[in-house]
Amino acid sequence: MDRNKLVKWFKEPAKMGHKYSLHAVYFCTGCGIIEVPPVITARWDAERFGVIPVATPRQANLFLITGYVSVKTLKAIIRTYEQMPEPKFSVGFGSCPVNGGMYWDSYNTIKHLDKYIPVDGWIAGCMPRPEAIFVAVTHLWTLIDKDMADGYKKYREKYNYYRANQEQLFGKLEWPPLFPVGDKHERLAERKS
Amino acid sequence: MSVELLLIVAFGGAFLTYLLGKISYKLRDVVAVLVSCALTALIAYLYGKDMEETYYVGFLGLPLLLRLNTLSWFFALTLSAVGALSIIFSLSYIRGKERTDFYYLMMLLVNAGMLGIVLSGDFVSFYIFWEIMSWSAFLLISYNRGPALAAGMKYIIMSVVGSIGMLIGILSLYTSYGTLIISELAVAIASASPGYILFLLLLFFVAFGIKNAVWPFHTWLPPAHSEAPSPFSAILSGVLVRMGMYGFLLFFYGIVGFRSFLGLGRGLLSFHYILAWIGAINIVIPTFIAMLQNDSKRLLAWHGVGQGGYMVLGAAMGTPLGLIGGTFHIVNHTSYIALLFLVVGAVEYRTNGVRDLNSLGGLIKRMPITFIGALVGACGLIGVPLTNGFVSKWLIYKTLILERYPFLAFAAFIGSWGTILSLYKFLHNMFLGQLPEKYKDLKKAPFNMQFPILILSLVIILFGVLPGIPLKVINNIGTSFGFESLQVNIWGIASETGTLNTINIFVAIAAACIIVWLISKAGKRSIRVSQADSYAAGASVPVDRYHYTVDFYNPLYRMISPFLRDYVDDFYMKLAQWTRGIGNGVRRVYTGDVGNYVIYILLFLALLIIVQVRWSVW
Amino acid sequence: MERMVMKIAQIILSPIIAFVIGVFFLGLTRKIIARIHWRYGPPLTQPVIDIIKLFNQTSVSHGGLFNLGIILSLAGSIVLVLFLPIGNFHPLSGSGGMLVILYLMLFGPLGIALSGGEAANPNTSIGISRKLILALGYEVPLLFILLAVMIRYDTISIVEIVRTQQEGGWSLLSFPMVVPGIAYLLILPAILGKRPFELVGAVQEISSGPMVEYGGKNLALVTIQHAFSMFIGIALFVNLFLGGSSNPGFFIIKMLVVYIVEVLIHAVFPRMRIEQALRYLWRWPTLVAFAGLVLAMIMGR
Repeated sequence: MDRNKLVKWFKEPAKMGHKYSLHAVYFCTGCGIIEVPPVITARWDAERFGVIPVATPRQANLFLITGYVSVKTLKAIIRTYEQMPEPKFSVGFGSCPVNGGMYWDSYNTIKHLDKYIPVDGWIAGCMPRPEAIFVAVTHLWTLIDKDMADGYKKYREKYNYYRANQEQLFGKLEWPPLFPVGDKHERLAERKS
Repeated sequence: MSVELLLIVAFGGAFLTYLLGKISYKLRDVVAVLVSCALTALIAYLYGKDMEETYYVGFLGLPLLLRLNTLSWFFALTLSAVGALSIIFSLSYIRGKERTDFYYLMMLLVNAGMLGIVLSGDFVSFYIFWEIMSWSAFLLISYNRGPALAAGMKYIIMSVVGSIGMLIGILSLYTSYGTLIISELAVAIASASPGYILFLLLLFFVAFGIKNAVWPFHTWLPPAHSEAPSPFSAILSGVLVRMGMYGFLLFFYGIVGFRSFLGLGRGLLSFHYILAWIGAINIVIPTFIAMLQNDSKRLLAWHGVGQGGYMVLGAAMGTPLGLIGGTFHIVNHTSYIALLFLVVGAVEYRTNGVRDLNSLGGLIKRMPITFIGALVGACGLIGVPLTNGFVSKWLIYKTLILERYPFLAFAAFIGSWGTILSLYKFLHNMFLGQLPEKYKDLKKAPFNMQFPILILSLVIILFGVLPGIPLKVINNIGTSFGFESLQVNIWGIASETGTLNTINIFVAIAAACIIVWLISKAGKRSIRVSQADSYAAGASVPVDRYHYTVDFYNPLYRMISPFLRDYVDDFYMKLAQWTRGIGNGVRRVYTGDVGNYVIYILLFLALLIIVQVRWSVW
Repeated sequence: MERMVMKIAQIILSPIIAFVIGVFFLGLTRKIIARIHWRYGPPLTQPVIDIIKLFNQTSVSHGGLFNLGIILSLAGSIVLVLFLPIGNFHPLSGSGGMLVILYLMLFGPLGIALSGGEAANPNTSIGISRKLILALGYEVPLLFILLAVMIRYDTISIVEIVRTQQEGGWSLLSFPMVVPGIAYLLILPAILGKRPFELVGAVQEISSGPMVEYGGKNLALVTIQHAFSMFIGIALFVNLFLGGSSNPGFFIIKMLVVYIVEVLIHAVFPRMRIEQALRYLWRWPTLVAFAGLVLAMIMGR
C-alpha cells in the first residue's frame, strides 16, 4: 500500500485518489451481499482502505455485483452502472456472475455478466469469505496502477455490443442509449465477433 | 407645475381610456400605459418641491387642499410606479376576457384614488379619495365573478366599517377644532388631553388597521387577494393595503406628533407598546398560516398580512431607526409582493389559470425569467443579505435590541424563518422539481410580463446593495416628523452603535462566488442529463408522479396546525350569522304583506284607545 | 497602509484556516468513531483523498441552477467565515454584526435547497423539507440564546462580546450566561447536523437526501461546504460562550475540545425522526433558553 508516499501523490494524484477512496454503491444485488456488512463494519473494517458504502450510484465508483443476477435485477444493474460517474470499476463477486455458478441451468438468471456490463475483476467462490473482498480491492489497486482497470472505457468504445446484447435479452429498453449508437449493420457485426 | 395637474391627469386619463376603449383596443392599451407612465414621470419630477394649495372652496363650508411633502412624494412615487408596471403586465393578462374597458377604467381609477389620498391636504378630500379607492377596489376584486363575489363582499363590508370609524373621527375633530386642514390640525392638537388623543387614535387605528389588515382586522385579505386578477392583486397587496400605513404615519406622527404618541400611557401599558405587540403577533401567526396553504395566491396573501406587522412594529417603536426601518419596509414589501403576484400571474396566464401548488412543478425549465423574478422576490421577502428586505429588517431588529425588547425581536426573527419555509415551498412546488407532461411545451411569459418582473427584481437588488438611495428620502421623512437625522450614506447606515455596510457584503459575496467558480473549474465539466435520468433505485423514473409536493411540511403541520385556526375569522363569521339571524327575525315582523301592516295599525290604534279610555292621558 | 496589508492577509487566511480545520475535523470524526467501534478507521487525511478523487470524477448536472446553487452555498459559507472572529482575525466584522451573521447562515441551506430542487428527485425534496423543519426547530432556542447574549452585553457586534469576555472571563462560567450556554450545548448537534439530528443527509432513509444526484466536483464542493458549516457552528459557540481567544491557536484548541465532545455524542446516538427532533427542540432547550433570556433581561440592567 503506497498511500503514504507523498511523491506519488504529487505525480499522479488522480490514480492515487481513485485507489484509496473507493466508494461502493450499496446495491444488494444477490445472496452475496450477506458477506458485505461484516466487511464494512467493525469485524473486518474496510474503512481503513478507504472503502465505504454510499447510497446512490451518482456518488460511487465501485460496483460489487454480489451473487447471482436474475433477469429482473439485471435491468437495475445496468441502469445503476450507467448512472455511475466515470471512472468506475465493477467487480463480479461469487461464481454466478462468472459462469452461472449454481444456477447454470436456470431460465431466469444471467450466465455471463460480461456480455451486459464490463467487469474489471472476478472473485470465484460460493460465497467467498469476506477477506476475498480485500483481495479484490488490493487487486483492483494493482490494475489501476497499471491502467488496466478500463472497464468503463470499454463500455464507451464497444457500447453497440453491450446495447445489442441488452436489447436481445429485454426487447426494447425504456432508457435511451447512453452513448450514440451506430447503425444496425455495425452492431450485428460486433455481436458475431 | 401644480399638484392639481397630477390629479387631473390621473382621473382624466382613467375616463379617457374607458371612452377610447369603445373605439379601439390598441389605442386604449397605449393610452393606459402612457397615462400611468406619465404620472410616474411627473411625480419623479416633483421631487423635493413642497407645495400646498387650495383647489376648491365651499364644499360644505370647508376649503379642500392638496399638498405635497416628502411623505406624500414617497408614497406617490411607489404607487404610481407599481401601478404603471401592473398595467403593462395586464396588457396580455386581461386580453380576451370580458369587460376589459371596465377593468382598465377601474385600475386607473384605483391609482387615481390612491394618488388623491396621499396628495390631500385636508381630511375631507382624504375621505373622498379614500372612498373612491375603496369601491373601485371592490369592483375589481369581484371582477372574476364566482367566489370573487363573496370575497369582494367581505372586503367592502369591513372597509365600510373602517370608513365609518374614520368619519366619526373626522367629525369629532371638526367639532373640537373647527378646521380639517391637516397642517392646522397638527398645531391645534398639541394642546389636547391624553384621553381625547387616545379616543382619536383608537378610532383611526380601527379605520387604518382594517385597510392595513392588522391582526384582528385581517380576515378580508386572503380571500380578496386570491380571487382578484393577478395584476390587481399586485397593486392591492403592495400599495392599497399600505394606504393604511400612510394613514398611520400621517396621523400618529404627522398630526399627533411623536411625543404625544409615545407619551400615552405608562410602561407596559402604553399605547405604542401594545401596538408593537399587535405588530409582533401580526408577524408570527399569518406567516405560519401561509406555510400551510396549497394555493399559491393565498400563500402570498397571508404573507401580505404578515409583513404588515413589521411596518406596524417599526412605526410603533418611535425611535428614528424604527421609523425608518418600518417606512423602508413599506416600499420593500411593495416591490417583492408585487413581483411575486406578477410571477403567479404569468404562470396562471400560461397554464390557463392553474394556481394549485400541488399540480405544478419544474417550470424553471420552461419559464426561466419568471423563475429569476420569483427567486429574487422570495429572497427579498425572506430578507437575504443584498436584497432590500434585509436592510429594512436589520434596522427594525437593531432598534428592538438596542431598546431592550428581546421578545419582540424574537417574534420578528421567527417570522423570517416562517417566511423561509413557506417561500421555499412556493418556489419548489411551482418551479423546481419534475415538470409534468402536460406542461412540456409551455411557452415563456410574453415580453410585457417579463418587463415588470425584471424591473422589480432590479429594484430589489439595487435597493439592497445601495440602500442609501431610498434611505436618504426616508431620512427626510423622519426629520420632518421631528426625529433626529441618521447618518445615511450610499452604502448603508453609519452610527456609533454598529454600522451596516452593504457594499462590503456585496463585494465579499461576489468575490467568493468567483473564487468558488474557479475552484469548480478544477473538476471536469458536468454532463447534462435529462429529468428522466434521476436516481430511482434502478427503476425508471415514474413520469408525473416523482414530485414531492403534497403535504410538503407534514411533520410540522401535524404539530402546529391546531394552533393556527383563524379564530378571528370564525368570530366575524359568527357575528355575520347572528346579524343575519336578527334580520330574519325582523323579517317575520316586516313581512311586506300589506294586510299585516293594516292589522298592526289597527292594533296600535286599539291600544291607544284603550289607554285613553282607561287612564285619560291626553 | 500596514493595516490594509494586515486586513488582506486576514481575509485570505481566514477561509484557509476554516477549510483546513473543517476538513481535519471531518477526518477526526471518522477516526474517533472507528476507535469507539474498536476498529482502526481511515487515516486522518481520508477526506482530502476523497476530495481529490471527487475532483477527478465526472459529474452530472440537471441544469444551470444545479451548479449555481452549490457555488452560492459555498460562497455564502466562505463569506460568513470572514465575519466571525477567529482568534483576532475578523476582517469584515464591522459591517453589521451578529444580525448579518444570522442572515448569512441562510446562504448555505438556501443554495443547496435551490440546486437540489432542480434535481427533480423526491429524495432531495424530502431531505430539504426536513432540513428546513429542523432549522425552524433549532432556530427557536437559538434565537433566545443569541438575544440573551446581545441583551446581556448590550451590543450586536460579536467582536465586542469577545473582547468583554477576554477581560471578564468566559461567558459560560458566569451566572446568567451559563443557562443559555447549556441550552446551546443541547442544540449544538442539531446546528451541526450530527446524530441524533442527522436527518438531512440520512443515507439509509432518503438516499442521502439533497446529495442524491451529486457526484464528482459537485459532491466535493458540498463536502467542503459541510466542513465550513461545521467550523462556523462551533466557532460561534466558542466566540459567544468560551471567550474566543486572542490568537488563532488557542481558538482552535477550544474548538477541538468542543468538537470532540460533539463527536462522542454523535458516535453513540441513533438518528431521531423529524417529529421527535422537533418535539425535543421545542421543549427542553427552548425552555432553558427562554429562562436564560428572562434572567439576562432581569439582571442585565
